[in-house]
Amino acid sequence: MQFDTFLQTLVNGLFIGGVYGLVSIGLTLIYGVMLILNFAHGEFMMLGMYVAFWAFTLGGLDPYVSVVIAAALIFLLGAAIQRGLIQRVLTAHPLNQIVLLLGVSTLLIGLVQFFWTADPRAIHVPYETEVIQVGFLRLSIPRMVAFFASLVTSVALYVFLQYTKTGKAIRAVSQNRDAALLMGIDVKYIYMLTFGLGAAVTAAAGVFLTPTFRILPTIGQSFSVTAFVVVVLGTMGNFIGAFVGGLIIGVVEVFAGYYLGGDVKIIASMTVFILVLLFRPAGLFGRKRA
Amino acid sequence: MSAVKNSASGPKPARGPLGRLWHAIWADWDLMQLAISVLLVVAIGFAPLVIRSPYYLGILILAVLYGYVGISWNIVAGFAGQLLIAHIIFIALGAYTTVVLYTRFNIMPWIGIPASGVVAAGLGLVIALITLRYGLKADYFALFTIALMVALKTLFLKWEFVGAAVGMGLRLNEPSWEKMIFSTKEPYLYIGLALLLAGILVQFWIYRSKLGKYFLALREDEAAAAALGVNTSLYKTLALLIGSAMGGIGGGYYMMYVTFVEPPQVFDLGLNVELVLAAPIIGGLGSLLGPVLGALINKPLAELIRGTLTAGRSGTTLIVYGAFLVASILFMPRGITGLIQDGYLRLKRRLVPEREEEVRRDIA
Amino acid sequence: MTLLEVQGIVKQFGGLTAVNDFSLSLDRGDIVGLIGPNGAGKTTAFNVIAGFYRPNSGRVRFGGRDITGLRPDQICKLGLARTFQVVRPFGALSVLENVMIGAYARTNDKATAKAKAEEALEALGMTGLAERAARDLPIAGRKRLEIARALATEPQLLLLDETMAGLRSAETDEVIEMVRKLSQRGIAILLVEHVMKVVMSLAQRIVVLHHGEKIAEGQPSEIVRDRQVIDAYLGEVESDAAR
Repeated sequence: MQFDTFLQTLVNGLFIGGVYGLVSIGLTLIYGVMLILNFAHGEFMMLGMYVAFWAFTLGGLDPYVSVVIAAALIFLLGAAIQRGLIQRVLTAHPLNQIVLLLGVSTLLIGLVQFFWTADPRAIHVPYETEVIQVGFLRLSIPRMVAFFASLVTSVALYVFLQYTKTGKAIRAVSQNRDAALLMGIDVKYIYMLTFGLGAAVTAAAGVFLTPTFRILPTIGQSFSVTAFVVVVLGTMGNFIGAFVGGLIIGVVEVFAGYYLGGDVKIIASMTVFILVLLFRPAGLFGRKRA
Repeated sequence: MSAVKNSASGPKPARGPLGRLWHAIWADWDLMQLAISVLLVVAIGFAPLVIRSPYYLGILILAVLYGYVGISWNIVAGFAGQLLIAHIIFIALGAYTTVVLYTRFNIMPWIGIPASGVVAAGLGLVIALITLRYGLKADYFALFTIALMVALKTLFLKWEFVGAAVGMGLRLNEPSWEKMIFSTKEPYLYIGLALLLAGILVQFWIYRSKLGKYFLALREDEAAAAALGVNTSLYKTLALLIGSAMGGIGGGYYMMYVTFVEPPQVFDLGLNVELVLAAPIIGGLGSLLGPVLGALINKPLAELIRGTLTAGRSGTTLIVYGAFLVASILFMPRGITGLIQDGYLRLKRRLVPEREEEVRRDIA
Repeated sequence: MTLLEVQGIVKQFGGLTAVNDFSLSLDRGDIVGLIGPNGAGKTTAFNVIAGFYRPNSGRVRFGGRDITGLRPDQICKLGLARTFQVVRPFGALSVLENVMIGAYARTNDKATAKAKAEEALEALGMTGLAERAARDLPIAGRKRLEIARALATEPQLLLLDETMAGLRSAETDEVIEMVRKLSQRGIAILLVEHVMKVVMSLAQRIVVLHHGEKIAEGQPSEIVRDRQVIDAYLGEVESDAAR
């Protein structure tokens, strides 16, 4: 592979990887705090995309504006689902938790399909095909903006978790639930908040992708699987690991797509996934399991 | 639980063999579930006498299939407690094996379907060995099975030998028993019922045997089981082998009925929910009656809702199954069978009151 | 022949040495008590002997055979059974079925397993509870179930891990009697205990662990007078016994 092609592919991979990173941050946040694998994660992304679509179609809002609405709405939805449904199975057998989330996922996809059909939707913004030329690199504007938007959102979330009182409370719960309880932190409220946040950032990531992706009720599913790969790769519960893992998987996928063809590029992330599960289940940032 | 000894306070009336059977069934919840399952199978066997419409018969056929596949998952996830989420891979592999054997090697499904069971069991064995060798626990095992499903889908999408993205179908020109291709629904129903009956009996036999008890011990507490002499790796592998073999056979039958298969259709989590998970969860995971009852209630109900309430609008079945699963987990953790069992126990306590005394004495 | 020979086992977790150069031997018919303060390494030693942990060094020999590194189920089949400190009943199964799991270690036949299980239940005075769901038992019943299950595996050596913890005085006396009867059947007993009454009345020999090391071994009367033991451990316990 020639150097300029290599660099181009690398940049493309990083761009999509940033968005994967944001999606996975949401998932890893939920896991870190509640120790639950959100099998419905991709559906929050999908819903964010639909909100952006309707905001655009009905109100003419650019996705990078309507992302705020989408994030807020999905935040509320996520919090409600957590409080109403997931809270009840937090201490149940993992099988019950997984099945419940699969049920929620199926339900959400079904509802979207019911009300808005399975026809693919798309947002066509005026700048969707615009490209910046930097030397020999062609940087797609929407993809680049998606990357930076994801990066900014991730940093904002990081700052929130590190420096605000609520953020610290969330981190406290993820480190030691009982100690946090004893310190007077309302753990149930934190759970609700965390799940809402995780869902919201995922929705935001979806919105960032809308200028370049077709929107389908089932689009969340492959992102879910990719997010799991990233989260495991970046160590479950590790914020920075999720973003770094996202970049890695983004790059791996784009290179795989170059060599193997776009429809099977997911085999690359699946291979990475299986290798990580077998040989380094603790992920890049964790200790190897005893 | 095993048979209860009746502490009758007076001499028992003489009973003929039928009376003894009746009494034995009522005394033993396991036998009760078996009896109900068999009765349901027999009842459905008579269905074609009253139901003529191919549409309704088709629903029954699928319900029967879901019951059988549900049993195969129940053994792995319900009895042995293994978090095998993407069980659909065995059904998918079974379907493909059957159609490939038939289309490319001219092997009749009567041989092809059992062969599918063997191939699926082969995959099950590989999964078991990998899981044990690398110590994949709970969540990781669940994710592994899902990753495998996606990987297999991609593989099959590109593999020309199995039809790649186009898929493979059966030529339906000359129906015959030899080819297991029929022009009417009834034969499919009877083959399905035979399969379901076999599944019910195998499930019951396993449940009552040392194998089944070891599975349950594994589920309840793996460390305690090991301390009592249970080779946990061996039994986890056995559970997976049985579940995958049965799943593969179910997949083969599925292929003969739907007559066409392509990767995104069968390597699909949505199909997994409908075909594998829904029936046992709603019916009662870990019980004997659960998968059968769950399937026979689920499928027709879902179809009814889709047909009448929403005029067949897309997404309806997903909403129904999703809602069923959520409601089941939250409100009926032991499923419909659990509710029936509670009723059964209440009834029994009222009919045999002297046991109450014995029970109270033990607690004191 | 020495039934159990523990030779210099060392078990470390990361930087922590839980058990250091621990040795012990036990013959048929012995009842040996293993005592020590919390965190002394008693349960860790048990876990090593029963195959749940692999020692960093040292060996365990049972019936003349090296069992170091064998799986717990293999060790059980060789005749070494154990109970757990925090009881682990198979909740969804009946009491009888719980014990049958143990009995199945010796037979594949259901009727035989049932008979053996019923025998074990009888030995523990639990015959009337056979059909009860294990999860419905109170703590005393669960502790007995734990022993009955292990008994059904027909062990030559039974490791009892803090069986008496949480029991009332009368219940403790009953269990002491049962353990004595088990010993009379020829089963060697190694018990970890905090309740001194139990250890003093049952054990022929006591081994004392402190910070993972054996600091004393001998007859109960000697141990109670041992200076090191009193300093490390019995000081606390005397106030227990005074209650």
